Amino acid sequence: MTARRGTAAGRWARILVPAEMTGRELVRRRLALGLLTALPLAFYGALSGHSDRAEVTGGIAMAFSIAGASIFCALTARPVDQRLELAGYRPHELLLGRLLLLELFGLVVAGLFSVVMALGSGSAHAGALAAGLVLVAVTSVPFGLAVGALVPNELEGVLILIGVVGVQLTLDSTQIVAKLLPFWGSQRLLDYASGDVGSIGPAVVVDLGYALALLAAGAYAGRRRAPRGRMVSRRRPVTTGRD
Amino acid sequence: MGPAMSSVSAAHAAVARGRLDEPAPLLTAEGIVKSFGRRRVLDDVSLTVRAGEVVAIVGENGAGKSTLLRVCAGVERADAGQVRAEGRVGYCPQAPGLFDLLNADEHLALFAPALGLSRDQGLRAGRALLDELGFPVRDHSRSRALSGGSRQKLNLALALMGEPCVLLLDEPYQGFDHGTYVSFWEHVSRWRAEGMAIVIVTHLLTDAALVDRVVELAIPREAGPVAERGPR
Repeated sequence: MTARRGTAAGRWARILVPAEMTGRELVRRRLALGLLTALPLAFYGALSGHSDRAEVTGGIAMAFSIAGASIFCALTARPVDQRLELAGYRPHELLLGRLLLLELFGLVVAGLFSVVMALGSGSAHAGALAAGLVLVAVTSVPFGLAVGALVPNELEGVLILIGVVGVQLTLDSTQIVAKLLPFWGSQRLLDYASGDVGSIGPAVVVDLGYALALLAAGAYAGRRRAPRGRMVSRRRPVTTGRD
Repeated sequence: MGPAMSSVSAAHAAVARGRLDEPAPLLTAEGIVKSFGRRRVLDDVSLTVRAGEVVAIVGENGAGKSTLLRVCAGVERADAGQVRAEGRVGYCPQAPGLFDLLNADEHLALFAPALGLSRDQGLRAGRALLDELGFPVRDHSRSRALSGGSRQKLNLALALMGEPCVLLLDEPYQGFDHGTYVSFWEHVSRWRAEGMAIVIVTHLLTDAALVDRVVELAIPREAGPVAERGPR
């Protein structure tokens, strides 16, 4: 019955099955998904046509939907994760599975927003606009998973999300505080797409570095919570029943 | 026994009686100490459970029954002490750790790779367990739509998947009707006969007659010698 343990198919299954189940859970939250997608669209729609910050605001606000979904995913899974790890999953396998699925979700949302914004704004740098949105998606998932792994409850997670994304939205990408926040690189790319700045600078590298650091923080928190207080002998005993 | 908290390892007593033909211990917890903030919940608690033995852990609210089980399962880290388990440990927590929006089959499929099983193997083994426990296996409702008893059966089946040698059950029959409760104890008898070491946290004194040993945990303030009630 345990032939798959250690095989390539078995190793992939330990990442892909958690990814699949995360996807199933996510698509069943249709109302939440709709609201999470509508929120950044509302930000963009409110500014589109009469503000040159519409793309930046709509793009960064996309972090609300993707990071929000990631936070809820991490927090929902937390009580089950210990059992899954006790059953034999390693924390990084669960994390990678969720990361994979959520990044896929994020890229779909980014693609959708790219089309809407490219059509709506007629940006001269459509490529930079799409890249900025993809970068928001790529950074949002580790951000959400890290916040979900570190905070005790949903309320704290949502407040951190609103705080970080909200502050990033209000700042100009040239300000020092903006550069310290996780979506600065995306903001810079979106600013470039809007024609607000002339160069991208190290935007992509900074955001990807931030994403990796956030992923490491989430992985660390997951490892700390993983079952490990027990010494387990791998030897399967021969038992004789009651004497 | 420490003055703040008492515990007893009845198995230690059994060893002291010098029974050489006893089955091997499958679960050994020694000197477990656990505090939450300044409140000490477990103070030098030891417990040994052998193959084919059913031990009930009783005690009033706050005595640390669930904490001891969580430490034994490895999901809670003890401040001091050591737990050794032979083979796989199945843990059934008090609150079913389930995904609200996944159904029973999806839970079985999710647990399968962790146990080294293919999806088909996991579904087959899990459905057989669920069927045995009286879970409506054709019910594809999401777990949040299941009754409390059905959720608990799924919770129990997930703990039993992978044929564990040690089974840790934290009030496993919450939500069970009388027939299911009786049937649950019949299953426990069978698992015991198969050589599983079983620890059950319970509030029900009626359960004491159904187990081999009862270990009573006391709240540290009221510590006295922990009573081991009569073996069956």
